[in-house]
Amino acid sequence: MSAAPTRPPLVSQDLAADPGPQRLSPWFGLIGLLLLATLLAAVFVQVRQYTLLNQTVQFQDDYLVLNLQQMETEYLRLREQLRKDADLPGSTALQLRYDIFVSRVSLLGSDRARRLINHSSDDTMVMRAIDAFTRRADRYLGSAPRGPLSVQAAHVMLAELEVLDEAIHQMMLEASHRVAGQVTERQQQVRDHNRIGPALTGFLVAMVVLFASITLRQVRKQEARRHRLAQLADQLRDARIEAEAASDAKSEFLADMSHELRTPLHGLLGMLALVRDTPRDARAGDWLRTADESAQHLRRLLDDILDLSKLDSGSLTLTPVAVNLTALLHEVQALLQPAAAAKGLGLQVQIDPALGALALLDATRVRQVLFNLVANAIKYSESGVVLLDCRRLPPAAGGPAELAFSVSDTGIGMDGDTVARLFRRYSRSDDARAWRQSGTGLGLAISRNLARLMGGEIVVRSTPEAGSVFSLRCPLHPVTEAPASMAPSHPASRPPGLPLARPLHVLVAEDHPVNRLYLAALLARLGHRVRLVENGLEALRAMQPQVGAVALHGPHTDAASDALAASEPDDFDLVLMDVHMPVMDGVAATQAIRRLAGPAGQVCVVALTADVFADTQQRCMAAGVAEVLTKPLSLDTLQSLLVRRFGDAAGAAPTAPRPLPPPLPGASPGLLDRATVDSVLDLMGDDQVPALYAGFFNQADDAARRMRESMRDADTDALQRSAHTVKGAALNLGLPALADAAALLSREAGTLAAAQLALAVQRFEEVTAATRALCTGEGLLL
Amino acid sequence: MHRRCLLALAALPLAAPLSASALDTPDGPVVLTVTGQVREPNRGAAAVFDMAMLAQLPQASFSTHTPWYAQARKFSGPLLRDVLAAAGSRGSLLRVFALNDYRVDIPFDDAQRYDLLLARLLDDKPMAVRDKGPLFIIYPFDQHEELRTALYLSRCAWQLKAIEVQ
Repeated sequence: MSAAPTRPPLVSQDLAADPGPQRLSPWFGLIGLLLLATLLAAVFVQVRQYTLLNQTVQFQDDYLVLNLQQMETEYLRLREQLRKDADLPGSTALQLRYDIFVSRVSLLGSDRARRLINHSSDDTMVMRAIDAFTRRADRYLGSAPRGPLSVQAAHVMLAELEVLDEAIHQMMLEASHRVAGQVTERQQQVRDHNRIGPALTGFLVAMVVLFASITLRQVRKQEARRHRLAQLADQLRDARIEAEAASDAKSEFLADMSHELRTPLHGLLGMLALVRDTPRDARAGDWLRTADESAQHLRRLLDDILDLSKLDSGSLTLTPVAVNLTALLHEVQALLQPAAAAKGLGLQVQIDPALGALALLDATRVRQVLFNLVANAIKYSESGVVLLDCRRLPPAAGGPAELAFSVSDTGIGMDGDTVARLFRRYSRSDDARAWRQSGTGLGLAISRNLARLMGGEIVVRSTPEAGSVFSLRCPLHPVTEAPASMAPSHPASRPPGLPLARPLHVLVAEDHPVNRLYLAALLARLGHRVRLVENGLEALRAMQPQVGAVALHGPHTDAASDALAASEPDDFDLVLMDVHMPVMDGVAATQAIRRLAGPAGQVCVVALTADVFADTQQRCMAAGVAEVLTKPLSLDTLQSLLVRRFGDAAGAAPTAPRPLPPPLPGASPGLLDRATVDSVLDLMGDDQVPALYAGFFNQADDAARRMRESMRDADTDALQRSAHTVKGAALNLGLPALADAAALLSREAGTLAAAQLALAVQRFEEVTAATRALCTGEGLLL
Repeated sequence: MHRRCLLALAALPLAAPLSASALDTPDGPVVLTVTGQVREPNRGAAAVFDMAMLAQLPQASFSTHTPWYAQARKFSGPLLRDVLAAAGSRGSLLRVFALNDYRVDIPFDDAQRYDLLLARLLDDKPMAVRDKGPLFIIYPFDQHEELRTALYLSRCAWQLKAIEVQ
């Protein structure tokens, strides 16, 4: 609820920072591929080694060479046998030797043996020679001999055999050497592979380590993510608990508020029921008054609740404009000075000279917060001084400079518990009296939320028995150069500081009579000429003499036409234009005025509006308004406007004693109603009358004091009651002007803005003083 | 490349009863003499076999590659363990002798573990001495890779003439 706008969007933040569960490091894939490649290489080397070994097995060259060497042995044994048996051939031993020899020779015919031996022409010749020998020997010793081996044939065989001696030996040696070469080569290959092996293994280890580290990092990331999720869950749980607590508090608040609302509503309904049932009862007036008070209280409650709900829903938007800080603070001071004075308190304002004259602020809301803080300070102080201080705080580490409004009092102060409870939303103070005193009890909560909305905060420092300091801090956005909307656009505008040769002629377009009269009074006090009209169309007519002249021939309608006829139509310096008016609103009227030819189309138009919507401001600016001011317009605001637009002299308050506000046009009553005074004199007798009037004026002074107090407490009910009492008496004593002033307060106190109310009370006091003087002069008072 | 073993397994069960019977005396020329641990001698302390006696034992055959022939060749004959059983021989070492006085030791276990063939036919033909016959101890190289080493090749005694069982 309340925390919703300020709580960081933790969910989206965390998820935004999260790379997501599926995304793996690109290194992961790369290293994985490398690892795979290395493994494949290792497998290749191993397969290669295996193949080499298999080759050894398959071809068995080294073994074969042994067999071949055995052939040489068999050859030698056959030769020995032949030599021995040459003279006695035909022995079985010779046959066996020969057969064994042939079986060895047949080995030479195999492909593998040929690979080993048939490399040179010598080898081939030896093979042929052996073949020739066996073919001849087979005639006698073969499987199908032609005849027995003769001695002569045996000698021939021996001779042939002996020829082969050296060749066979050479061939066998070469085969041995070749196989030795092969073995060496294979060993070299194996050695090479063995050399690649460790390198591959090293690389493999490196890859595995890398892979493992990446995996570890991934796991850590996962862990961090899980941690974040857990945190998020915690935060969500906290948020839920908070939300539930807020919801509970809200329900509680709702129950409390409905009680709060029901109390005045019951009063209202009860009183209305009494009046309905017995309208003729003498007490009916009191009942209605009570009903009215209840209704006012109800309205205040609802206003505060509305503010809160706007703050909660975030629909309350701020409209920062260039604000004169001095004027703003003095405005607050002026409004609350009477209340402070009534309690014997001082109210001082200090402004940091380091601050520029202007700052971008939502004046209405800042004023609301300061009013609340200062009013509280006054309420809880019994003596001493309330200090409203405004200073510039140097920027804290990278942040913007801050503006700090501090309200310090010398009151009772608060302990830590109370401070902690002070701003708690919807938490009702245990002290029922405090609740009652602060009206709706929502003032501080609203103030803090407004401060936060401004990007600032309200901080409290308090020491029991020593007083408290409430500070409103918000970012300081200085107005470095006047925005375009504030630059004088009127060609007739004079640069600031240039004194005016003549009073200004101001056209006021305002549908509400009270506001109209109020503006008239303000401008008159500043010594300017004023013309009042009730809507935009009339304002346009006032700017257009020709159209106005034509209108004069039509049905004669209102005071505006009179005013039109009585003025110089084309000579306005300034138009104060209410935005919301019947017939033609301020925006349309301004657009129409801007379309006028000549200087009339260039006149400076200042829009007045009670709403703070940025949209309204934009529409006004688009229509050609010079600037937009928020109602109610204080004297200070008006002064600073005039100074801005027309120089110091225009805004200068008259140095002479303030004249009474000009008598209200039309129905301004006289101070004394002769007829009534006469009847009073008749009725009471001359000797009684002075005491009667003296008593009344004491009562009136008392009422005025009470009105000030009520104003300070923002208790319009009490104010209205006081005014009401005075009104009746004044009418009875034949003092219509005073009665009117009181009636205005009694009637309008609930609806008037604080400034207007202050003005009305001031007027009441002035009228009282004037009436007292008149009565003294008339001998009604001693 | 490696052709499957054509071993006639069905003949195996017949080996036991035959081995139990007393050894015949050879009619033809003796081609194999088993000496040493012989419990069924038929000539002195030795058991002697002619080709017919060997042919009467259960026959097996397989094709295998050898360094001595370019292609895989088919070898047929009794299993060495059947021959040893027929001689009633049991021991730990076989010392085999070839016609050319070649001599090599074969662990007795080899004959039990592998189907060691006492080949008497090469491609179904008797082997002459010049064809490395008449008897040839051959390991089933194509069936057992681990046999393809010089060690086992050296145990393949051809032109076999005698076995001494120790």
